[in-house]
Amino acid sequence: MLRARDNPFSTDRVLRLRYRFTTEDWTRLQETLVRHRGRGALVGEKGSGKTTLLEDLAIRLRHGGKDVTLIRLSVEAPTLPGMYNPTFYASLGRNDAVLLDGAEQLPLTRWWQFRWQTRRAGIVVITTHHAGRLHTLRNCTTSPELLCDLVSSLGQELSLAEAEVLHRRHRGNLRDAMRELYDRFAKKSAGALSFPPLRA
Amino acid sequence: MTNAELGLFTAQDRTAFKPGEVLELSVLWALPTKPASLEVRLFWFTRGKGTEDVGVVATETIPAVALAGEAKVQFTLPVAPYSFSGRLISLVWAVELVAEPGSSATRFEFTLSPTGSELVLKT
Repeated sequence: MLRARDNPFSTDRVLRLRYRFTTEDWTRLQETLVRHRGRGALVGEKGSGKTTLLEDLAIRLRHGGKDVTLIRLSVEAPTLPGMYNPTFYASLGRNDAVLLDGAEQLPLTRWWQFRWQTRRAGIVVITTHHAGRLHTLRNCTTSPELLCDLVSSLGQELSLAEAEVLHRRHRGNLRDAMRELYDRFAKKSAGALSFPPLRA
Repeated sequence: MTNAELGLFTAQDRTAFKPGEVLELSVLWALPTKPASLEVRLFWFTRGKGTEDVGVVATETIPAVALAGEAKVQFTLPVAPYSFSGRLISLVWAVELVAEPGSSATRFEFTLSPTGSELVLKT
């Protein structure tokens, strides 16, 4: 039996994969952010890399001297934690960057309240499933080629044909695709990864 | 177990310990700038398909007085949880040495179990 700790698709290894972004991509994103007064959204479906890109942006902003606050919302924790109270919002200034992961969790009225409360922050970037809440900085999309590349980064091989099947089956959600690969790798005894044919 | 700047070592390079045993580590550091603090953390974490869990059991702070140095740290290991592995989840024990500022770190993983081997969950 393959121990969970040795599975190349374990969560800790997958989470170490970073968003595929070139220097030009970063420059473009930062220019767009400046043009929109430091406000913007990373938009994409589940498992498309929005959170990873937001985390990478947080690192870049910190290196650039910003005071970064990264707030995470999810289906399991859809409300803003109590620490984000009037005192926190009053303390925000031009050097602060507030990054909100999972903005679609906030009901519309709460979202507008949050937008008002963070008005003094120099930067506010959110991730969300659908465009509309802030100007779209980046549409996060995935492809079978990207899946192949990520699998390769984990030291494994996946053919493009297999990646296409997997990508289609999970509707582009690479997180779920990686989970399936985890299960397949846990079951396989030897040889390359192989996939059953996709059912119509 | 080590990188260019930080190291954690056990006597005879032991990697398996029993519950309640004393884990003694040699801590070595050589840093480009003097660290504000060196922290040694005893903890367990899970690795596998699901969300990672972590439990910090004990922390020791080494008063850092130089760019490079050596110190001894001791932890009395708890009685549980044991190291184990299944197909979906593994529980791993580790000690981590972290230098601040800069968050340079190194990690030493070990097995905690009465038998000296991690428990294997078979399905």
